[in-house]
Amino acid sequence: MSAKKIQNFSDIITTSRIIVCCGSGGVGKTTTAAALAVQAAHTGRRVVLITIDPAKRLADALGLDGLSNDPSRVDLACSGELWAMMLDARSTFDDVIRRESRDLEQQQAILENPFYSNIASRLSGSQEYMAAEKLYELSNDARFDLVVVDTPPSREALDFLDAPQKLMNFLDHRVYRWLVMPARGGLRLLNFAAQPILKTIGRVIGADVLADAVNFFQAFEGIEDGFRQRSVAVQELLKSSSSKYIVVACAHNDTIQEAIYFTEQLAEANINITGVILNRLQPPFGKGSSAASLTAARKADKTGDSAVAVLYRNLAHLRSLAEAQENALKPLLESSSGAVVVRLYQRAEDVHDLEAIAELGRDLVATTTTR
Amino acid sequence: MNKKINHMFTMSRLLVVAGKGGVGKTTVTAVIARASADAGLRVLVVTLDSRPGLAELLGGSPSDGADYDGTMIQTHLGAAKTGSIQMRTVTAGEALQDYLATQGLALLAKRLVSSGVVGVVASAAPGIDDLLVLGKLKHLVGLTGPDGDHDLIIVDGPAAGHAISFLQAPAAMAETISGGPLRSQAIEVRSMLQDPQKCRVVMVTTPETTPVNELIETTEKLTQSVGVAFAPVIVNGVDISSEVSSLVASGEIPDGVLGDAMRYRATRSALHLQAIDRVHERMAVGSFALPHIATASLQAHDVVVLADIMRKAVGEPA
Repeated sequence: MSAKKIQNFSDIITTSRIIVCCGSGGVGKTTTAAALAVQAAHTGRRVVLITIDPAKRLADALGLDGLSNDPSRVDLACSGELWAMMLDARSTFDDVIRRESRDLEQQQAILENPFYSNIASRLSGSQEYMAAEKLYELSNDARFDLVVVDTPPSREALDFLDAPQKLMNFLDHRVYRWLVMPARGGLRLLNFAAQPILKTIGRVIGADVLADAVNFFQAFEGIEDGFRQRSVAVQELLKSSSSKYIVVACAHNDTIQEAIYFTEQLAEANINITGVILNRLQPPFGKGSSAASLTAARKADKTGDSAVAVLYRNLAHLRSLAEAQENALKPLLESSSGAVVVRLYQRAEDVHDLEAIAELGRDLVATTTTR
Repeated sequence: MNKKINHMFTMSRLLVVAGKGGVGKTTVTAVIARASADAGLRVLVVTLDSRPGLAELLGGSPSDGADYDGTMIQTHLGAAKTGSIQMRTVTAGEALQDYLATQGLALLAKRLVSSGVVGVVASAAPGIDDLLVLGKLKHLVGLTGPDGDHDLIIVDGPAAGHAISFLQAPAAMAETISGGPLRSQAIEVRSMLQDPQKCRVVMVTTPETTPVNELIETTEKLTQSVGVAFAPVIVNGVDISSEVSSLVASGEIPDGVLGDAMRYRATRSALHLQAIDRVHERMAVGSFALPHIATASLQAHDVVVLADIMRKAVGEPA
C-alpha cells in the first residue's frame, strides 16, 4: 500500500494496519480514535480499538464494561467488524510474565511479589509499554486487519515509543544488576545488608519494602532475555512503516505547543505524522470576517435595529474566535507539513453515543483536507 | 455562583487545584493566585512538573519559578500593596534530597541522586515520590501565616487522573511501611490533608456533561479514600450570552448563517447553564463560573481580567 500516497483520512483508514492516536489530555483523543475505528468498520475492515481509560459514557457507548482485557465485539451494523477493549495494564503485564516465565514457580514468585505490583501498575511507562504490548499482540491476531490505539495521555510522544526500552533499562538498572549479581562465595545477602546505601534506603522506606525489591529482581533473573527480545519486536513494529501516527489537537495554545512537540519528537525517531486531526474547532459560520460582521452590527445599532445588531455581534464573536484559532494553528500546520489535516468542528451538543461517534467518523472522511 | 465562594482565599492554607486534562487547570491556578494576591495575600504557587506557561500567565518570564527555591514574580499587588506571587517547582527528586538532609543525611543524599538510586527508591514503594512532594508541601504550609512567608499556597496539581493516587499516597504509605521516619511523615501528611483549615482541593471542570460527570466521580473518590475537604468548584470557560438567548427565546431567528450562529450559541449557552446547575446541585461546597475568553492563546492580561471577576465575587479577606 505504501506505493500509493495517502491523501486523506479515507486513505488512512482503508490502507493502514495500525493507527496510533497521540495527543495531550483532554483533546478528545479517545473519541476521535473511536470515530476512526467506527468509520473503518463501515468500509468493511475488521477493526479492533484499544482504549485507555475512556470516559464512562464513551465506554458505555462502545459496550465496554472494564471487566475484560480482551477485545469484545461492538454491536454495530456495518460491512466490517468493530471490536473494542479497555487496556488493563496490570493484567497485560501478568500475561507477559506468564508467557515468559520458565516455570510455574518463577511465575508465582514474580506475580505474588508486592514490588511487582508497583511496577506493573504504577511505574511510569508501564501503561505505555502495555499499550504497545497489546498493540503487538492484536496486530498478530488473525481476527483483525486494523488496530486503532489510543495512547495514554502524556506530554512525551516518545513515552509510548520508548516504553519498551525504558522498562528494559529499568530492569537492567545497574543498582539492581548489582543486587542480583551472584555474589562471590554466595554471600549475597551478607553483601546486601552490609551496603551503607541499602541500609539507608532500608531505613527510610522500610527494610521489608527493600527486601521485596531484591526478591523481585532475583525472581526475575533469567527471563530478561525473553523480555528483551519481545521489547525489540514491539519497538520495531512501532517504528515500522505499517504503524501510522495521528496527532489530535485542539486550538488552544498549550495543546498546540504540545502537539508540535509531539511531531518534533516523532520526527527525531524518524517517524512522520500521517494525519493531524484538529478537534473541536469553533465553526466559522460562513466565509465572512469578524470585522465585517462587527461593522454590520454597528450599523444596525445606529439605525436602532437592536435584534439585528445582536445577530451580527454574535456572528462577529464566533468568527473572531475561529480566526484566532486558525492563527494559533499555523505553527502546528507548518511543523506537520507532510501530513493530511482534517478539521472537526465543535458540535453544539456533546459527542457520547455510538451514533454521534459514527457521525464524527463520517466527518473525518468527508471533510476535504485543507492546510 | 453563590455565597459559598466568600472565603475561598482564606478558608485554607493550601489549595490543590485538580481536574482532568484540557479543563484549564493551569489557567485556574493562575487566576486564583492572581485574584488572592490582588486581595492582598502573599501567595506561593507550586508546580509539580514545571509546566510551561504558568509563570507567563502570572506575568513572569517563561523560566521563572522553574527551580526548587522559587522566583518572586509579582509584588505590591492589591489596594494595600501587600499582595505578592512567588512560584516554585517541587519535584520528587529534590524533595527527597531535602528530606534526607533534614534527617541528617545530606551527604548521602547527593550520592543517592547522582547514582540513580532515587529512581529505585521512588519505584520501590508505591507513592513514595508523591509522599515526598506532599511532605514538602506540608513543610511549606507550616511556614504560612501572619508571621510566616506566605498566606496561601496554591498547587497546580498533578496531571489528569493522577490526582487521586497523588493524594492517596500518604494513606497507602502509612499502611505499607511498618515503621521508620517515612511512616511518621505519611501519618502527618495524611492528617494535614484531612484538616480543612490547612488543605482543600479545588476541582476544575469545563461546563460540559462528560467533564462534570468525571468531576463528581473524582470528588466522591477523594472524599472516601483521602477524606480531603473541597473549596468551591471552578467551572472554567463558561460562555453564556444572555442577549442571544433572549433573542432566540423571542422566536426571531432568521435563516442562513446569522440564524445558524445564533442557534449554535444559544444551544451552547443552554448546555453550559445546565452543567453549572448540575455542579451546583451536586457539590455542596458551592461553585464559581469563570467566563470564556474568546482567544486561542490566553495571556497574563486575560488572567488579570478573570482574577478581577473572581476577586469581586470572593470579597476582601477579613
